[in-house]
Amino acid sequence: MLLLAKAALGIGATFALASLYIFHEGVIRVDVDEQRAGGTHVHVFVPATVVPIALRVAPRHHLEQAAAQVSPYLPVMREVAKELKRYPNAELVDVRDAHQHVHVSVRDSKIYVDVVDDSENIHVSVPVETISDVADRLESLAPGV
Amino acid sequence: MTTLSRGFLGITGSLCICACALLPVPSLAQSSSKTDQWIHVRVENKEDKGETVRVNVPIEMAVKVLPAINHDKLRDGKVHIDNAHLDDVDLRTLLDAVRTAKDGEYVTVQSNEDNVRVAKNGGYLYIHVTENKGAKHAKDSSDKQSKVEVKVPMKVVDALFSGGKDELDVVAALRALSGSGDMDLVTVKDDDSTVRVWIDSKNISD
Repeated sequence: MLLLAKAALGIGATFALASLYIFHEGVIRVDVDEQRAGGTHVHVFVPATVVPIALRVAPRHHLEQAAAQVSPYLPVMREVAKELKRYPNAELVDVRDAHQHVHVSVRDSKIYVDVVDDSENIHVSVPVETISDVADRLESLAPGV
Repeated sequence: MTTLSRGFLGITGSLCICACALLPVPSLAQSSSKTDQWIHVRVENKEDKGETVRVNVPIEMAVKVLPAINHDKLRDGKVHIDNAHLDDVDLRTLLDAVRTAKDGEYVTVQSNEDNVRVAKNGGYLYIHVTENKGAKHAKDSSDKQSKVEVKVPMKVVDALFSGGKDELDVVAALRALSGSGDMDLVTVKDDDSTVRVWIDSKNISD
């Protein structure tokens, strides 16, 4: 009985620690809802810790291709991510008219992009740290680096 | 039972410590943003179904990010101006003359169509332009007026022109601006829209 309890506690503790590690960087959330009949509804909820791991295990040639395409924007991406860490809560952009509302903000070190218009609602949130990780990894694979 | 309780307490305690160590600590990073200056842009368009644009950017962030953008005429935080646009006016000599001159009004143009006033006072350069659109288009009986008011610290103007001959050093100007207090930089008001550019230490617009 005691042995079973110890084993259960061990497994429970391992599971709890693993969960803590997986979620300590936050989560990436993507919600897309089209407002028409039969419209697309996409809801993605991914732990941010998965991204650096995925970047390590993804086929190198695919990443190099991606890095080559986005290389002109990588220095900007890296600098923005680095600076946003200093501003964990900020309203950056807000554009509003009768049909559309676009809002870009940083809350608790996560960047939020919300687009709400007559035809669709898009909500994306990504931890700033993840943007930094992606920029660093892609920059290391970009041609000429 | 006692052994089980002790083991449970030990593991729970360890988990709490791990949780504290692993969870992000946003409050530490937040403290640095409290004294930073922010540049705010607000555009309100009365036409086009009341479009409103609000942009808030920390000046320090703009200073760091701008040099990373190399697009068209913006390179290394400097905007290159075509020679053609400066052929007729020697901007540097003009600026030097304004800088060394005493406070006062330098340009005052008053006509039925436009009123223009350029002045220097207390280390600030003021540009005020009032345009009477109704007077410009005689057939248009409406009395439309647009007002542009620009107030820039002279040290920012100096920094802006501190680069090469045909370039504006935006990053240097922003650095100089970050040392200034809260102020309105540009206000444009006309019947269709209002534009306001200002700096303060708040991270949201009014």
